[in-house]
Amino acid sequence: MAYHLPFRDDLGFCNVFLSALGGDGANTAAKLLFKIGCSHFGLDGGYDARYGSEKKGTATDVSVRFCEVGTPVRQSGPTDRPHYLVVFHPDLIGPLELYRGLQDGAVCIVNTVQTPAAMRELLRLTHGRVICVDAARIARETRSRLNVPLLAVLCHLLQFPDDQVREDVSAQWPRAATQNLAAFDAAIGASVAGEFEPDDRFAYMAPKTTRGPLGWRNMLNGGTIDALTHSTRDRDNRVAARGRVPHFDPAACNSCGICLTVCSDPGGLLWEDGKMVGIDEAFCKGCMRCVEVCPTTKRGHALETPTASTSEGN
Amino acid sequence: MNVAALDQPRGTLEQRVFLGNGNEAVARAILDIGYDAEGYYPITPSSDAGEAVSKAYAKGETDIAFLVGTSELAAISICAGAAVAGGRVVDVTSANGLLLKAEQMPAIAGLGLPMVLNLSTRDVSAPLNIKNGHTDLYAALGWGWLIFLAPNVQACYDMNIIAIRVAEAVNLPAIVAYDGFHTSHANRRIEVFANRDDLRNFVGPSPFKETLKGSNGRFSLLDVKHPRTFGPYMNDDLINTKVQLDLKFKEAHALIPKVFDEFAQLSGRQYSVIQSHGSRGADRCLVALNSAGEAAKDAVDELAERHEAVRVILPTVLRPWPEQEWIDALSGTGWVAVAERASQYGASNYLANEIGATLQRHGNNAEIIQRTYGVGGLNFTREDALALFELIDAHHQASPPARTDDEIPSLPFAPEKSYHGAWAGDPDYQPAPNLVPLTVEECTINEQMNGKVNLRKLSEMPVRFEKHTACPGCGIFTTLNLFLRGIDGHVVLLFHTGCGMVVTTGYPLTSFRVPYFHNLFHNGTSTATGVVEMIKRFKARGDLPEDITTILVTGDGGDDIGMDQLIGAALRNDPFIVLEYDNKGYMNTGAQLCYSGYKGQQAANAFYGPQQSGKRTHHKDVIEILRGTFAPYIATVAESHAPDMIRKARKAQATVRAGGFAFCKALSVCPLNWGMNEHVGPSAIEACVNACMHPLYEINHGITTITIDPEKSKKKVPVTDAFTKMGGAFRHLCDPAHADLAQEVQQEVDRRWQRLKELNDNERL
Repeated sequence: MAYHLPFRDDLGFCNVFLSALGGDGANTAAKLLFKIGCSHFGLDGGYDARYGSEKKGTATDVSVRFCEVGTPVRQSGPTDRPHYLVVFHPDLIGPLELYRGLQDGAVCIVNTVQTPAAMRELLRLTHGRVICVDAARIARETRSRLNVPLLAVLCHLLQFPDDQVREDVSAQWPRAATQNLAAFDAAIGASVAGEFEPDDRFAYMAPKTTRGPLGWRNMLNGGTIDALTHSTRDRDNRVAARGRVPHFDPAACNSCGICLTVCSDPGGLLWEDGKMVGIDEAFCKGCMRCVEVCPTTKRGHALETPTASTSEGN
Repeated sequence: MNVAALDQPRGTLEQRVFLGNGNEAVARAILDIGYDAEGYYPITPSSDAGEAVSKAYAKGETDIAFLVGTSELAAISICAGAAVAGGRVVDVTSANGLLLKAEQMPAIAGLGLPMVLNLSTRDVSAPLNIKNGHTDLYAALGWGWLIFLAPNVQACYDMNIIAIRVAEAVNLPAIVAYDGFHTSHANRRIEVFANRDDLRNFVGPSPFKETLKGSNGRFSLLDVKHPRTFGPYMNDDLINTKVQLDLKFKEAHALIPKVFDEFAQLSGRQYSVIQSHGSRGADRCLVALNSAGEAAKDAVDELAERHEAVRVILPTVLRPWPEQEWIDALSGTGWVAVAERASQYGASNYLANEIGATLQRHGNNAEIIQRTYGVGGLNFTREDALALFELIDAHHQASPPARTDDEIPSLPFAPEKSYHGAWAGDPDYQPAPNLVPLTVEECTINEQMNGKVNLRKLSEMPVRFEKHTACPGCGIFTTLNLFLRGIDGHVVLLFHTGCGMVVTTGYPLTSFRVPYFHNLFHNGTSTATGVVEMIKRFKARGDLPEDITTILVTGDGGDDIGMDQLIGAALRNDPFIVLEYDNKGYMNTGAQLCYSGYKGQQAANAFYGPQQSGKRTHHKDVIEILRGTFAPYIATVAESHAPDMIRKARKAQATVRAGGFAFCKALSVCPLNWGMNEHVGPSAIEACVNACMHPLYEINHGITTITIDPEKSKKKVPVTDAFTKMGGAFRHLCDPAHADLAQEVQQEVDRRWQRLKELNDNERL
């Protein structure tokens, strides 16, 4: 199928960068994207995931770089200059500085209920396009996963024919084909695009470097960590919970302490004078183990699964 | 043995004559220096260096903690544990022993733990040979250890003293290499210091107190008032640790000559990083290490008598590489024969490459002739050296050597070497403390409960870790948290490699509020031995007032690969707790099978399909394996039975406080790799307990007691009930298509349960 790359950097590559959390399915989506590009559109390039300490719920990313066959593919690792940026969780834009390295005229796909204009601000986009899609809701309603609606919009914007991509999505997950195709169609139909001309609101920002304040001169012997000054206690783990933190009803709680025995990070279960008083959302990853064991008292369950996602897609 | 005082002391310190071989000289140095610990495992030809220390201990001549591991890896891991606690430690090894230690060697250097490893060099080979060769030594060149060479028995003694002094000054470990048999078993008359106190003024006191203050640039794991995380997981920052390593070598390079001079004042024996023997400016030069270099000196003297100007060069320091000293030593040389007890098959030899590169960098065109000699213990004598000089002559006459410029520019060590992509850090970075260390008072709760378990009261136990990045619903930290609620007072945590360490210590932050040390995948039990031995020692000395409970946290995989070390710790009955979280797989590497997994369980290296039905063997029972060690306290725990776990944690702590070893195994869910919903963990674990797939019991001083009996409480369920809850890796076992396999698991579980009941009913079993 004849296909022309919509962007090319100086090495001849069109760069796609997906920012997600472990467990979102970004890796699988990117792998499928690469397969589609190579199988049907005569492209070459690379698919490079990030490897390290990432677990489910922690930030990760994956890169796909497309080029024409014959272009030497020599670079490895993630791209730091995306033409296409896919943001699974917009609350990670700031902490991860996802706006850095964004190419002029970049296309940004964001899982959000907000407007392209609002997202452009967050992304500090010099000019280009922002496409917003409430992928979380679509995934939930179609019983698909977050990666499918976002992949659908990405492929659509790459001008891969929808029919071809639908076929590949079905083949990839044959048992969830119906759900995924529903998610695919809903995403294409529900995305909202905004076009932004160069207006000097933002300037290009160089790609992020990994250099922190600790280096070889001031690192402790052998990389030892001083727990008193470098504790994780101020870290915000909220993003890992994907907005699903148990609802706590103090009136129904008899402070039996059973939740403490099943919680993986129980510093987030707040107790005062032998009584449970609440949940610190900065700890909670939303596994709902505590909900499972919370006993029924006269006033019901102290811990309940929240009815619907609250922060997801914002 | 000491035989006499020296008639004419040459140094400022009193010395005596000592008759012994190289290994005995090493042992004498170890005893004189005053080490806190020696990790030990025998291997020829270094064995008797340790035996002599052991013998001295038995006689009451030393108070060193002499700790025998189950392998060379275990021995060096014991050293790592003792060193991170702040002890001064030493080890001895050879050949395959060094290679078995290999994974610990760069880790010890990377952690900045000073220690001395005596290497009685030996060939690593098949067909097997136990004699001298330098293949072991050369394997260590890039491991980040200082390398000193001791060419004779006297130097074995002296270099040990010099090495520990330099190692502790720059926070690097040091190898002292001497030739197996040629030196290790050569008996000589040497000089040793008469008074240990004199020598200890030179090497300094045991470093523990300094590590508590941090005044020697490193810290102690036992500093409970200032908890630190040693051996964190590190991504991009790792390159900076490498810069630190190289800077330490640079520091050592500057320091070593000064220490040599200082040592010469005390002893009258002057060393230099490169020893040159013969006429300076001679254009024929032989480089030979250790015993061969010594032998070659006689050849040089003989040729000098014949008015032939030649030289032999013996380096005494290989790491740091003394670049300028090599240039100085080889100045004026046209022909260099580099003789090595090893070959880099298919390529130029080790030392020849380094010398060649050094010469080339400095515009010296001396030609290098390489000869591999003396492997497998072939002796190297004066005649061999003469033959090599003749070889040089032959080359010499075939093509006259190019004269080199005597005015070689003075350049620092490895001038072309630096790093690309490392960073120095912000000098003004002064982060404010955000953690207050835990106190004994706030962590003493169980003691007040008179044996009862009150979860509400236990809510007051401060968490020892917080805000990790484990997957939602992970069982590891539920188990650890619950267990730690049953442990009073100060805790030091050691972790094996696995998800547990990766999600808690991503540099530069740590989730641990207590001291923590990670020392690779399978070395934790030996490491813990080193730690608890130092706790005992420093307490006895009055330097450590706190009571500390040491706990090693491991996955089930750590007790596969580390089985020997675990059994060793149990057999030694060392006072620490091992807490195993058994999630039935190698989850950190991507869900490969562990021997602990149930038969039929699907794993990333044991799938089910028409030809294979998941894991082929029944689940390993680590408790029953450990039963044979007769360790005082062994138990299983489960998060679904919290009071039971708290009681067992208390018993484990009581056991280690009484000086014994305790092991507890918890079944732990892995929602990600088991393919289960995140909230299902507690009920899945309960189902496994009720199915007797993870029976809850203890072996307390040999007496087996089932603490939770699902049969008696009429809760027993078939294994398929548990498999249903455990997720996709197990669910196929509930399909009618796999009924036979499920039945097989059921029979095995029932067989073991019946056996357990017999053990429960009979105290003597």
